[in-house]
Amino acid sequence: MTRARRWFAEHWLAVASPAAVLLGWEWASAAGLLREAFFPRPSTVLVHLERLLADGTLWNHASVTLARIGWAFALAAVLGVAVGLAMGLWRRLRESLDPVFAVIYPIPSILFLPLVSFLVPAGEVVAVLTTAVTSFFLIAFTTTHGVRQIEPRVVEAAVHFGARGVRLFTTVLLPGALPFIFTGLRLGLGYALIVVVAVEIVAASRGLGALLWLSWQVLKVEDMYATFLVIALLGAVLSYGLAALRTRLLPWVQDVAER
Amino acid sequence: MTFESHGHVVPALDRVSLDVAAGEFLCIVGPSGSGKSTLLRVLAGLHRQSAGEVRIEAEHPGAPLTAMVFQEHALLPWRTVLDNVTFGLENRGVARAERDARAGDMLALVGLTRFARHYPHQLSGGMKQRVGIARALATDPEVLLMDEPLAALDAQTRTIMQEELLRIWATLGKTVIYVTHSLEEALLLGDRVVLLTARPGRVSRVFPVDLGRPRGLEIRASPAYGALLEKLWSELRDEVVRAMSEERSADAG
Repeated sequence: MTRARRWFAEHWLAVASPAAVLLGWEWASAAGLLREAFFPRPSTVLVHLERLLADGTLWNHASVTLARIGWAFALAAVLGVAVGLAMGLWRRLRESLDPVFAVIYPIPSILFLPLVSFLVPAGEVVAVLTTAVTSFFLIAFTTTHGVRQIEPRVVEAAVHFGARGVRLFTTVLLPGALPFIFTGLRLGLGYALIVVVAVEIVAASRGLGALLWLSWQVLKVEDMYATFLVIALLGAVLSYGLAALRTRLLPWVQDVAER
Repeated sequence: MTFESHGHVVPALDRVSLDVAAGEFLCIVGPSGSGKSTLLRVLAGLHRQSAGEVRIEAEHPGAPLTAMVFQEHALLPWRTVLDNVTFGLENRGVARAERDARAGDMLALVGLTRFARHYPHQLSGGMKQRVGIARALATDPEVLLMDEPLAALDAQTRTIMQEELLRIWATLGKTVIYVTHSLEEALLLGDRVVLLTARPGRVSRVFPVDLGRPRGLEIRASPAYGALLEKLWSELRDEVVRAMSEERSADAG
């Protein structure tokens, strides 16, 4: 109890500011300042959210989205970390891949959808691969940087005390890069959610993006907002989840907030 | 122990020839750019000299010849204090029980037993450097190399650490080669003080420090200490002035 109270004393703004926005919205819609047809009251949206949860619609779509994110993120994480580590360790590989990455990375992720559909037969694989592309680049970039930013004198000291080859990698280079790898994973996971929703809007009949778009097209605006809310919460949970995991797994990292 | 070196390509060190006795505490001072750190790095095997050789008599084979205490500790931030101290032994394949026991001894020696499970970022500067010393001592090297280990600490912590170093050295009797830019520190710690010239570094003179042992901060009040400090400074001063004027003419040209 005291712990929760102390947390609230320090972070009450994080609770108060969204609450203020929702209350303001509720009031504005009720007072007629916002048109309820397009900006239904948050309380109305909650009622619709309850219905979507109760009749199984929401879970039906959310489970599809979660599966896509899961596969795409796993793929992007494994390949991104592997390629990023390799690029961090070997200058020649870094120099040959850097320009390729620099060209591909800024392309809006959704544009990979047609490219991927040329390569593999349509279906789940297309959605998963398209979702993975930008995450992969983000994770590879941050991992490369993670290896590069390790202090040379720490590496030198480790070599002086006998760490070579595989041991140098496992005891120095990998742990040294891990904080950045985690940052990359967090960004990559966030991007996977953004892209999967976009893909589902454009090219799927199931998934939260599809539900959102369908609700809009048939003017079920309350359902659209409810889906909206679920996507936002999902993003927050995934992001904070990874952050908490990092604190648990890397106790030696000084958080910026703690300094 | 003997080392000699003859540099040619922009020589950092030139014809440095020194014999260090087992158990001696040798201090090296000199103007910046005299290659003090380079000398230590050659001894540590971090730098290959272009010419010359380093010979170290191994009393107990199997232990490393040298272990370095780095200027800014250079601990591994992701390892606890204990795991930093065992790191060298771990790399040499020493069994866990043995290396933990050895690290425990060294942590007791530097007074950090209670902090074994802490991470470096939770320690003060002086404590981090104690870990650096324990890490180097844990490998039981023939020669302990120290590259301005106290330079980054505040004045009070530095004074405490100097006394600590004297105590640790008296306990273990290791051969120490200690680079510093502080003449006071060199006189307090060393059996001999080697003065290097400005680039390229040569041995300008070797001063025996006949101030007796055990030695503490109180020697600063003795006349012999004052006379020696004066002598050292007047020689070093010439070298510093020469180095500065050379730098200036190099800038002009």
